[in-house]
Amino acid sequence: MTRRYAYVSVVAVFLLASCLLLAQQNQPTAPFNTQGVAPPPGTNPTPARMTFFVTSVGIGKGGNLGGLAGADAHCQALAAAVGAGGHTWHAYLSTQARPGQPAVNARDRIGTGPWFNWSFAQLGPPQNAVISANLGELHGDTLVQAQRGSNLFKQSTRNEHGQLINGVGDTPPIQHEILTGSKWDGRAYDDNADHTCNNWTSSTTGSAQVGHSDRIGNGSSWNSSNATKGCSQAALESTGGAGLFYCFAIN
Amino acid sequence: MTRIKSSALMLSGTVVLACSLLFAQVQRPGEYPRGVKPSPMMNFFVTSEPVGDGGNLGGLAGADAHCQALATAVGAGNRTWHAYLSTQARPGQPAVNARDRIGKGPWYNFKGEMIAQDLAHLHGDTMELAHQGNNLNKLTGLTEKGQIVPGLYDYSDPRDNDWDYAKTTRFSTRHEMLTGTQTDGTAFTDAQDHTCNNWTSNGSPAPGRANRDLNAADGRFNAQIGFPDRNGGGSGSWNSAHGTRGCAQVDLPKTHGIGLFYCFAIN
Repeated sequence: MTRRYAYVSVVAVFLLASCLLLAQQNQPTAPFNTQGVAPPPGTNPTPARMTFFVTSVGIGKGGNLGGLAGADAHCQALAAAVGAGGHTWHAYLSTQARPGQPAVNARDRIGTGPWFNWSFAQLGPPQNAVISANLGELHGDTLVQAQRGSNLFKQSTRNEHGQLINGVGDTPPIQHEILTGSKWDGRAYDDNADHTCNNWTSSTTGSAQVGHSDRIGNGSSWNSSNATKGCSQAALESTGGAGLFYCFAIN
Repeated sequence: MTRIKSSALMLSGTVVLACSLLFAQVQRPGEYPRGVKPSPMMNFFVTSEPVGDGGNLGGLAGADAHCQALATAVGAGNRTWHAYLSTQARPGQPAVNARDRIGKGPWYNFKGEMIAQDLAHLHGDTMELAHQGNNLNKLTGLTEKGQIVPGLYDYSDPRDNDWDYAKTTRFSTRHEMLTGTQTDGTAFTDAQDHTCNNWTSNGSPAPGRANRDLNAADGRFNAQIGFPDRNGGGSGSWNSAHGTRGCAQVDLPKTHGIGLFYCFAIN
């Protein structure tokens, strides 16, 4: 009997060894990058040229942002906290028409570009890399522009600290669903359904249109991929969001 | 006796635990999936290996043969595979559009996930489709061996730009796919080189004459590339983002490619 258990032990040790060997074969040669967790090494302060970021945190009340004014103030406060308050910041959000109150298109709120994110802002000439040179490129106004897409993708949608937004394939929580309330052309919806959590005042019923900051998901659009299940903070988080939104400087 | 028995049991338990921990890791870019064969539906993949002579693929025929050989090696050789590449018009020789070479779809990757329903979905033929995009992305743009293609910042090794290093590892950044096409999947119609001379050139620019801005220009060796991870190069376009710094194998890693391309089965 003793011999039998000795055999079991030998087999077990052999299995462990082969297991280790097998697993080792699949190890990459360089350490895995912890993208999205921290800014790149040798971090610089947020440059004053920055004119685009994704909010590092949401307001925390789901789709209730305190209207456009509340969302703009959130952008301005986050920017000011990292020394970029010299610009006038607007949230990239649309509102839908109401009696006596016309619709507001997100694309009409963000100036004319070009827009620089945290890392592009540090480059300067000659690269002068931009999120987009103008509104047409950002929204894909022509077919070729739409097929190409803008320079807004996973590695460029950074928050005001220069950090990447957790997207599909990253360590949860995934926060890539960005509130926009917009159609892919950057304009407000003109039907009767709610696409804006009641013009960014509801944290209970309704729904908001979101885009994907990493351009991965059902529909790979940065500004108009799908609708949220509701307007509470929990509803936003249930589908890979956090109530974050895009901020653009208009000057 | 009992002590030996319990320690043997404990050891077995440890082995099971250790093994499950080692194998429960998320599949990282470049890694092979463990013990998984391609879906029988696979009719799309990114080549796991380059041809190895830069932009000289042996023409379209050579590139198609590369697709076929890689597919055969993983048991998918029963289909007819074509490389997603365009060639430009030459005297007496019409242009070939990549989109006309790949059948009608729908196309599925290694895991059986749909990349696109049809040619219009793949290329975004209408404004609606173009804004929606196809289903090709970092997690679906898999090689015939099921690998995620390493892209920007996955491992962030400065040696990624050096072919001497890149050829020794499957973990270097290599997300630039040769296509030689415009965004709509058709060949370029201007006089400049976008296809490494129809995939026969491994020419390198003279010293000091590298394609710094990555655009095609007179007399430049150049190939148009796209990104399966939709991440980089000014637009994230899957098939037409920018050019290369030359057509030699050593030129391609300078912008994070190694000469990989897309393969589609036409049947």
